[in-house]
Amino acid sequence: MSKTTTLTTVLSNGLTIIGEVSTMHKSAGLGFFVRTGSRDEHPEESGISHFLEHMVFKGTKRRSALDITYELGNIGAQANAFTSEESTVYYSAIIPEYFETLQDLLSDMMRPALVQEEFDTEKNVILEEIALYQDRPNFYLYENASREFFAGHPAGNSVLGSTESVSAITSEQMRGYLQRRYTTSNMVLVAAGNFNWDRFVSDAQRYTDDWRSDEVDRTLPQFSSEIISREYKRKGLNQSHLLLLGPGCSAQSQDRYALGLLAVILGDSSGSKFYWELIDKGIAEAASADSEERDECGCFAAYASMQPSQIDKVATTLRELVKRGAEFSADDLERAKTKVISRLALGSELPMGRLMSLGMEWNYRKRLHSVKEEISVIQSLTAGDLERAFEKYRIWELSEFRLMPE
Amino acid sequence: MQHIDTLDNGLTVVIEEMPHVESVAYELQIPGGIVCDPEDKLGGCLVLAELTSRGAGTLSSRSLSEAFEENGIRHGESCGFDRYLYRGALFAKNLPQALRLVSLMVQQPALPQSEIENIRSVLLQDLSALNDHPARRAFVELSSKYYPAPYSRCGMGSTEGLMAVDSESLRAMWKYQFAPEGAVLSLAGALKRDDVLKTVEANFAEWQGRAEKLPPFGKINRPAAHHIEHDSAQLQIVMAFPSAKFTDPHYYATKLAAGMLSGGMFGRLFIEVREKRGLCYSVYARHSATNDYGTMQAYAGTTPERAHETLQVMLDVFHALKGSATEEELARAKANLKASLVIGEESSASRAASNAGDWWLMKRVRTLDEILSKIDSISRAEVDAALEAFPARGITLLTLGSRDLTEVYNDNL
Repeated sequence: MSKTTTLTTVLSNGLTIIGEVSTMHKSAGLGFFVRTGSRDEHPEESGISHFLEHMVFKGTKRRSALDITYELGNIGAQANAFTSEESTVYYSAIIPEYFETLQDLLSDMMRPALVQEEFDTEKNVILEEIALYQDRPNFYLYENASREFFAGHPAGNSVLGSTESVSAITSEQMRGYLQRRYTTSNMVLVAAGNFNWDRFVSDAQRYTDDWRSDEVDRTLPQFSSEIISREYKRKGLNQSHLLLLGPGCSAQSQDRYALGLLAVILGDSSGSKFYWELIDKGIAEAASADSEERDECGCFAAYASMQPSQIDKVATTLRELVKRGAEFSADDLERAKTKVISRLALGSELPMGRLMSLGMEWNYRKRLHSVKEEISVIQSLTAGDLERAFEKYRIWELSEFRLMPE
Repeated sequence: MQHIDTLDNGLTVVIEEMPHVESVAYELQIPGGIVCDPEDKLGGCLVLAELTSRGAGTLSSRSLSEAFEENGIRHGESCGFDRYLYRGALFAKNLPQALRLVSLMVQQPALPQSEIENIRSVLLQDLSALNDHPARRAFVELSSKYYPAPYSRCGMGSTEGLMAVDSESLRAMWKYQFAPEGAVLSLAGALKRDDVLKTVEANFAEWQGRAEKLPPFGKINRPAAHHIEHDSAQLQIVMAFPSAKFTDPHYYATKLAAGMLSGGMFGRLFIEVREKRGLCYSVYARHSATNDYGTMQAYAGTTPERAHETLQVMLDVFHALKGSATEEELARAKANLKASLVIGEESSASRAASNAGDWWLMKRVRTLDEILSKIDSISRAEVDAALEAFPARGITLLTLGSRDLTEVYNDNL
């Protein structure tokens, strides 16, 4: 954390770039954070953001898919990407001597050629990925619950899409989506760790000079949840899964710190209320709480897995604990703060940790932040702040989703 | 630079000073685990590891948990195949508290009888959930067919074993297994060796005894193909065959061969199975090794219609590597392996784990430079020699899902 400088500039084409230089590190992280995901897809495009993320690795005007793969390998880049409802992120850890090569390559990849043959082959990979997730019960529950809870609001759109929707996507549609979403105004280029800022900026200018800079829209409809309950069935399951979703705050709201601490007090993996009531007593196999902050909307989530015979008991317990969420001691609050702060600080020690945090901060809140600032905000929170957030969002008004063996 | 010290009671202490970080990570490894559990109490070690965290010294279960939290220590107590693991990450200034809490858990655990039933219940649920995770289950089933007992055991214990564990047997296990001689405490991060040694001695010098020896490793089972019928969208394909063990002269060349097969996105398996043919999302091979055995394992998950071709291509890739690897491929595998080591070196947790692992295998600790120069020195001829010594033959194959592929396997023998 010490001896770092956070810098930012906007290129003439409108691309924001951010860097946090710390020369004591032996590596650097580099990434493009695109503010696009399943919530930005038209209904007939369901799954296209994630499919495009795969296609970014499958060739450009200058490089074939194999060229990309081999060049990443030649420099030992630890590269990866992910797509969520709201973000698509391409990133890599790299040793400093290859930083510039990586920047050239990653920048080129952001303008994929979408060659038809590669498109057709990769579509099969996506269909296999959909099948893989179908075999994961907690994912299956989350995906279905999210769709029903957000009931038509784009935040509930599936990231993977369905076998049907992905099968129907054409490369023309993807070209349209790429043009529409991957503009300089809708992404940020971030680096952290051991690299040269001036070179980073001048290379960025060179590699991205001809990128389009059109303004990009994201529809942000109001979301107000209704309380519903659903039960899904799967054949052959041994364990059952329970997900409770209630109102929560947005990624832009200052209340996110208070709700985040409430989630830790309620449902952290150790030492929380859920832990002592359910895991310590052997009633559930897993239990957690989370404040899921999204772009201008959000929800509060409580999850547990347990034997099917215990699900009523677990549901009652979780509901009761969330309802009494504002009943905590001063010590509970202090311990939760210490946990959150030490995770934040330890996680920021590696370039990759800072890279993710800087990129996401920009995508959601268009600002730079330091770990110190975050820590002082968390330290300043009082029990009253948590109580006010609890009352304001009424996180106890929970919808209930169950996955049971058929 | 790492330092190794041994306390009078036999506890090995490995310390690595990392000037560029503010954190410290610790990792205490004590011999024991699933392979040492009594035949009728499989999973006892898992109950015991958890039970040591439910109160120690004068601290109740809750006060112990709160003490960790108040000091901002991320911690975990678990048990693997052949060792108990106590690990944590924290800010350097809280290290004395962390070491005190760990020393209490291993030397003075309360082992409260009242908690056993609750721990058992969670572990039985974990075991039962294995059925709901086809990929994890496939590897457990593969191990049971491939390795000799007791190395063939399921790392999550057995229902009968977990049911049979009681307070008396757990106390006996703790008394017999938890000992300093044969155990290693590895620390890495923002620390000074002399100061840390004093703190370690203050907390662990009283600990006495000799840790358990691991059971001998027998012979790998005869290769065969197995199928388990399971109602799932994908078919899980897993396989294993003998490879270089850690002490084998072919060890580093084998690591690089594994890199050419499955490193980054450039490995041949990924290219041939996924990139060129789109047969699956996840396909990989991995090489693991101890002083007793080395194993090459491979995995693919694919829908039943594509399963036959997937398996055929995987086997072809394995068979084709010897004699066909190019200099570029070798260089790529080296660059990838070296970068992952250099980047991993930034994390105190990964240094603590890696140093403990080295000591476990060699009773010494390699420096990063030593490993990097070993990797650099490997030639293409050495990779071929390793593949000659450990060809992809005698494969144990297991499929789990709705398509039986044992016939394809038999055709390939």
